[in-house]
Amino acid sequence: MIFPGGNLNLMTHSQIESIDGATSTLILALDTELYPRDVLYAAAYVFIDRAYVLLDRQDSRYVVRFRAKRPIDEATMRGMAGEFENELLAQALRARVAKANQKLIEDVTALAIGGATARGGGAADGLVDLDNPGDDGFVADPGGLGAPWTGEKGRRE
Amino acid sequence: MSGARSTVRLHRELYAEQAIADAAATFADFAKFAIRSEGDYAVVELNDIDTEAEGDVVAEFCNFALANTAVMRKDDHA
Repeated sequence: MIFPGGNLNLMTHSQIESIDGATSTLILALDTELYPRDVLYAAAYVFIDRAYVLLDRQDSRYVVRFRAKRPIDEATMRGMAGEFENELLAQALRARVAKANQKLIEDVTALAIGGATARGGGAADGLVDLDNPGDDGFVADPGGLGAPWTGEKGRRE
Repeated sequence: MSGARSTVRLHRELYAEQAIADAAATFADFAKFAIRSEGDYAVVELNDIDTEAEGDVVAEFCNFALANTAVMRKDDHA
């Protein structure tokens, strides 16, 4: 048994409500307590290029209705349900990691930008002084690194 | 315009009012929209739906309303 003592529906709190092969329609329901609403949006957003997605709420469940833009068979629709669950998990993890690391990301970004532009700790500390970029060699290109690789240089070599 | 009509009910907890209005504006060339609140739902009546338009106008409208809501929520958190 892959999931000891458990049934998949209990584990994921979502289930296939119905599948209609004739209209390529799939209806899923999931517990509102399981995923934040933003995770639901993010997961649904991934599918809107290949399906018409309609969200609804019934009591303590979100109901997600998919209708494929092109006809697909039942097996493909079941696959889509699995993909949606995977996407919910991926988006939930992504949201959790982003939240946990938000301060760190902001600090590192501020440090990098501040250091490069000398806005954070004065011109002496910065790599480039944007007020006088030429003094820092920001504009000069003595090594010719900015020259295109093709064209004259390419022919010369 | 062929005079086709349809009604869509979008849960107001899941679809932002502005997102629905923006989607209606986007599809204004393909149908006439009337939006009203009815309990937990925003009821969108589409009249004079252009049945010659490529794709399903009603379903595409719903996708746009969902996408707009998702983007608005993301921007709010940024």
